Amino acid sequence: MLRKRLTRENLNKWIDGLVASGLRVIAPVRERDGGRGARDGKGGLTLFRPITSSAEIAADYTKTDLPFKEWLFPPTEVILHYRIVDGEPVLEDPEVDATKTVALFLRPCDAAAIPILDSVFGGDYEDEFYMTRRRNLTVVGLSCTEPQPECFCAAVGLSPTSEAGSDILLTPVGDEFLVEVLTEKGEQLVNQYADLFADAGDLTKEQVTEQAIAKMLRKESLPTFAETYSELFEHPVWEEIARKCLGCGVCAYSCPTCHCYDIVDEATLFEGVRCRNWDCCGFALFTLHASGHNPRPTQAHRYRQRVLHKFAYFLQTYGRNMCVGCGRCVIKCPVGMDIYEVVQKVAQASERVGV
Amino acid sequence: MANEVRERNWEPKIVAFVCNWCTYVGADAAGTSRMQYAPNVRIIRFPCTGRIDPLFIIRAFQHGVDGVIVSGCHPGDCHYVSGNLLARRRWIVFRKLMDFLGLDLRRLHFAWVSATEGAKWAHLVNEIVEEVRQAGPAPTWAMPTNGATQIEASLPEIGPPPSPPPELTSQIREIAKQLLGTGEVGVVVGYEKATGAREGAATPTFVNKPEDADRLIFNEHCIHNLAVYLTNPLVKKFGKVGIVAKGCDIRSIVGLIQENQIKREDVSIIGVVCNGVVVNGRLADKCVACPVKVPHIYDHLVGDPSSVQTTASEHPLDAQIAYLESLSPEERWNFWMPQFARCIRCYACRAVCPLCYCQPCIAEKHRPQWIPTSPHPQGNLAWNIIRAWHLAGRCVGCGECTRVCPVGIRLDLLNRKLAIEVERAFNYRPGFDPSAPTPLSTHRPDDKEDFIR
Repeated sequence: MLRKRLTRENLNKWIDGLVASGLRVIAPVRERDGGRGARDGKGGLTLFRPITSSAEIAADYTKTDLPFKEWLFPPTEVILHYRIVDGEPVLEDPEVDATKTVALFLRPCDAAAIPILDSVFGGDYEDEFYMTRRRNLTVVGLSCTEPQPECFCAAVGLSPTSEAGSDILLTPVGDEFLVEVLTEKGEQLVNQYADLFADAGDLTKEQVTEQAIAKMLRKESLPTFAETYSELFEHPVWEEIARKCLGCGVCAYSCPTCHCYDIVDEATLFEGVRCRNWDCCGFALFTLHASGHNPRPTQAHRYRQRVLHKFAYFLQTYGRNMCVGCGRCVIKCPVGMDIYEVVQKVAQASERVGV
Repeated sequence: MANEVRERNWEPKIVAFVCNWCTYVGADAAGTSRMQYAPNVRIIRFPCTGRIDPLFIIRAFQHGVDGVIVSGCHPGDCHYVSGNLLARRRWIVFRKLMDFLGLDLRRLHFAWVSATEGAKWAHLVNEIVEEVRQAGPAPTWAMPTNGATQIEASLPEIGPPPSPPPELTSQIREIAKQLLGTGEVGVVVGYEKATGAREGAATPTFVNKPEDADRLIFNEHCIHNLAVYLTNPLVKKFGKVGIVAKGCDIRSIVGLIQENQIKREDVSIIGVVCNGVVVNGRLADKCVACPVKVPHIYDHLVGDPSSVQTTASEHPLDAQIAYLESLSPEERWNFWMPQFARCIRCYACRAVCPLCYCQPCIAEKHRPQWIPTSPHPQGNLAWNIIRAWHLAGRCVGCGECTRVCPVGIRLDLLNRKLAIEVERAFNYRPGFDPSAPTPLSTHRPDDKEDFIR
């Protein structure tokens, strides 16, 4: 692993150089239109958007309103075109987005979500759409120095400066950045602009990490349920928790790791497309059968699925839980459901039943 | 190049939705009388204008028509007594909605054409084709590329309201204890203090034992409209519900009673005198000109009605609405489309709305699929139009949809605009009279409009 240092001025030069080289550079940008800022009251959303200059990057950003996920796994995507020509169906593959892309300034939570998505879309079956974009993506992470009240990355095995998912990780240390080059992809991006980077010398991120963790309100390691969920399955605690849940999709759609999707056909008489759209286990329709039977008939069943998928099933299949502690679902939930507290509550309930 | 060719050869494509008994026969009469008129119109026949749902109009535009005509029997001539009169009310409001979104009204026409008015039909079609020709090809329902319209009229920045006196909390607890203790209600839906990351905020809570009633609180952070839980199956199973409700929330409860979703006797309303709630550190927009600081309908009243502060007379959103109306349709379109384009269809707007209780929602019906479920601009525009439309004359302006939208769509402006139009046209404000019919489910023979030809 290479370790370098970079001044703020050179960081901007580097970014502008990446843009000029023809790469698509995606970074946190404050949206400028008539919409209202999601919750921050600052009058504009911060979202990952392609930039044409380093000056467009939202300077004071703590966390984007939506995670980076939308660039690897878009909310809607055409996976198949078809036409009827002379009475015969003609299938056409859509073009897969293979633009060489650099994702800038993902917080370590958002970066850590990418390997989680990789294990799903690049596992036993390689999803061509996702993996094409993924192969062409280089991730430049930015350590987090201002954890927000909702954040709990340290409770799910990460930290405000953790490297997971980043090809390069920048950590602000004093007036400069410590640059940790973690992969070959990252090395390529740095080597092309070698004169902008100096040797890291004795620059370390330890102090930054400590200070950031000290600011974090919630860091007690969260329990998981991979061993205990079958006993917990019918526990009344689910209904108690989920009574408040209104069954919208804000949590799943603002989650960097949620990856469920729906397949729909949109067609006119002679042509159509098949789309892959985001879907959410909180919706009643998610498991509704054509017969009318719904194996998850109430919000309690659906919310249980959300929690156990993240903290039990995924862990069983892929060896880690499916939450990076970004806390977006916590601040965006219309009624203040807090997954950190929910998991603790479920764990307490499981102690009561003695599992 | 391709565009130029298309524009040179472009002919307006117009769909006419007409009723079976009058306009269809009228159009037929034009044909049998050998009257010539522009061939740009495709006619779709319905039993009655009352059956012509605005969804059809949205669908037609979505599929690329340049103009729409809706036509049926003259008032008084409806073969089903009053279908056209109900339709007229819808058209009055729907047309305003489409105008506000930035649809050029030269593309959307309404007419009364009777079975004998073949000549009127021919003349009408010729006129409309010309108007649509002048308006040009309809904008595609895609993200505009020429930049987003900003809104220039700003909202008032009013600091948080005074905290309500702590007696409110203790009174609510006492009432809840009594209601639960006597078994009058099975559960009290109220607010409790949020913990952890949301310290300082309030959050909905459900109390079903008298000894738990001390969890309940009331303060200026009690923003949620709890009426949404009155139709929630996990809450309904407790039986009769006690609910802590501000005036604005009570207006939603009135709506639920009006629309037969709940019975008045199935809910015990703990009405709270409220001087306003806080969103993003300032007084919520809905509170600035609140007409119901003192609850108008309740079973138990909490707080001192004489403590309310005077209320501004003008709704704070009206200045922004007036600003948008001063722009061209294209500029308005460019205000809305960038916002709709980033809608992710989480349906939080629907989930928090007490009046969005339909099971299933129109967005979930797929035979036929009226609203594309995909979060692309076409699907999102259709969804957001129909959400606003279905709340016209019903939305009480609680503002919850706007508060929770994760991508900042100004749903409040849409809802407020329709509330203004409904009040202007039908002198009706939702949420006050549980026995009144909702304005778009009824009609008057003398409803006024100035656009139906």
